[in-house]
Amino acid sequence: MPITFKALSYIYDKDMPYAHKALDNIDLDIREGIITAIIGETGSGKSTLVEHLNALLLPSEGSLEILDYTLTAGNKPKFLKPLRKDVGLVFQFSEYQLFEETVLKDVAFGPQNFGIDQQTATSMAKEALRMVNIDESLFSASPLELSGGQKRRVAIAGIIACDPQIIVLDEPTAGLDPRGAKEIIDLFVDLNRKLKKTIIIVSHDNEMVYNYCDDTVVLSKGQIRYHGPTIDLFNDEKILKEYDLLEPQIVTLRKLLKNKGFRISDDARTLDVIVKQVKEQLK
Amino acid sequence: MSLIEIKDVSYSYNMENKAVDGVSFDIEAGSYTTVIGHNGSGKSTLAKLIAGLLELKEGEIIINGLKVNEENIYEIRKDLGIVFQNPDNQFIGSTVRDDIAFGLENRLVESDKMDSIIEEYAETVGLSSFLDYEPQNLSGGQKQRVAIAGTLAMKPSILIFDEATSMLDPKGKKEIKKLMAQLAEGDDITIISITHDIEEVLQSDMCVVLNKGRLFMYDKPEKVFSDPERLRKINLDIPFNLKVKEEFGKNKIKLKANDLEGMVEELCRSRSKH
Repeated sequence: MPITFKALSYIYDKDMPYAHKALDNIDLDIREGIITAIIGETGSGKSTLVEHLNALLLPSEGSLEILDYTLTAGNKPKFLKPLRKDVGLVFQFSEYQLFEETVLKDVAFGPQNFGIDQQTATSMAKEALRMVNIDESLFSASPLELSGGQKRRVAIAGIIACDPQIIVLDEPTAGLDPRGAKEIIDLFVDLNRKLKKTIIIVSHDNEMVYNYCDDTVVLSKGQIRYHGPTIDLFNDEKILKEYDLLEPQIVTLRKLLKNKGFRISDDARTLDVIVKQVKEQLK
Repeated sequence: MSLIEIKDVSYSYNMENKAVDGVSFDIEAGSYTTVIGHNGSGKSTLAKLIAGLLELKEGEIIINGLKVNEENIYEIRKDLGIVFQNPDNQFIGSTVRDDIAFGLENRLVESDKMDSIIEEYAETVGLSSFLDYEPQNLSGGQKQRVAIAGTLAMKPSILIFDEATSMLDPKGKKEIKKLMAQLAEGDDITIISITHDIEEVLQSDMCVVLNKGRLFMYDKPEKVFSDPERLRKINLDIPFNLKVKEEFGKNKIKLKANDLEGMVEELCRSRSKH
């Protein structure tokens, strides 16, 4: 069952003179079980869109169907807690929200908050921390002592520990060094491929989106400009130009090679695969 | 004498480990230096020490012949501008014009001179037609350009960018990097840029690589990138073009060019030989 936005609009400061329509009549079906990227320039409505997914924002107009829940404009939902357990949202710079004395307590806070007893919450927290590759020796450390990448992973563990079916990440790799970023990417790919979680990622990193996200949604000025397979978006020069998107460097390489008569298959989007295909043609 | 001399500088926030550990290097006037390193490598700490935003306790930093210390810091600051990471935290005025004017007012610049200075720097950063815009109507890249214009209006000879592009969208990043390269062209401004953007390093003259607070490398970008494995050991990577060259190398295809067009040309030539 997809996540369905129906004619959804969101207006900040509704009924005020400076009211601002951040989302404008969105119709969108996000498929479950895959990785979907949401891209678009700053201010295009990406964060506003994902903040509807666990009812941090409620539609001003239209509706949203997600799992067994329906959010409709004008109706205050009664199922906020179960919805927020099922749909985990990792904010931008989520590491700023770590607050407990120890890493383990911080991660266990989430499940406890949803009414799970302390002992069970602690064991769920341990499992989540193992999943994000935080060494056991750090469980009793203060979150403040960790590196930026480690902090980010602890914050994500706090969401994973609640065992949500859908995980939404807002700019998960921003500000991280290359290895820190790769660790986060490997983590959400694993969550999708091994645990079949639906992953929705807001990102500015077109290279990452191209390499790892199945579908992409392009937002501009609160409206959907494109929704479909990521490869079809980035392999199409005309669409990129039309939506003013920066071409991933790997796409530039593909294009240069193809212009010179090398055959590169449409699904080849990593460097090692492209190089192998070129090598075959040099023999 | 170099413009900036960093001599055996160490700094720690707590007793246990040093954020910056025995770092020494010199920065020449008019150069563009990038500082890279993994998260927690000491990059931002070093920038704050140079700007006198943290008190130096071990080692010394000399800027333009003046030691960075409490006594000299106001003199040094006149010559030094900083652009920070978050464009939203740096906007003070209610319009672009007011924002650029803020620093000038602080320096008691006469108001009849102010307009021409504001217009000059708005033009440098490409925002001449945006002077009466309010911050909420600007993109991240534009806000960051306003911050740069406000700093440039102070006529600093040293400009420090502390991860100034890391919160911007791809277009904003590109815009700011282009502006930085353009500012670096003349000899008037010395640029120090703390960055995670490995591609930006390619447009700088020199690159400082920090690892766990220590100086790991200080060299021209092409030298820094000549040993990818060494960089990967400290959580860093090389720019895309060089990765392409490396990947072909692994497949026994040796390429000479450093740009994609050149590499593809070479591949074409070796294809036609067969």
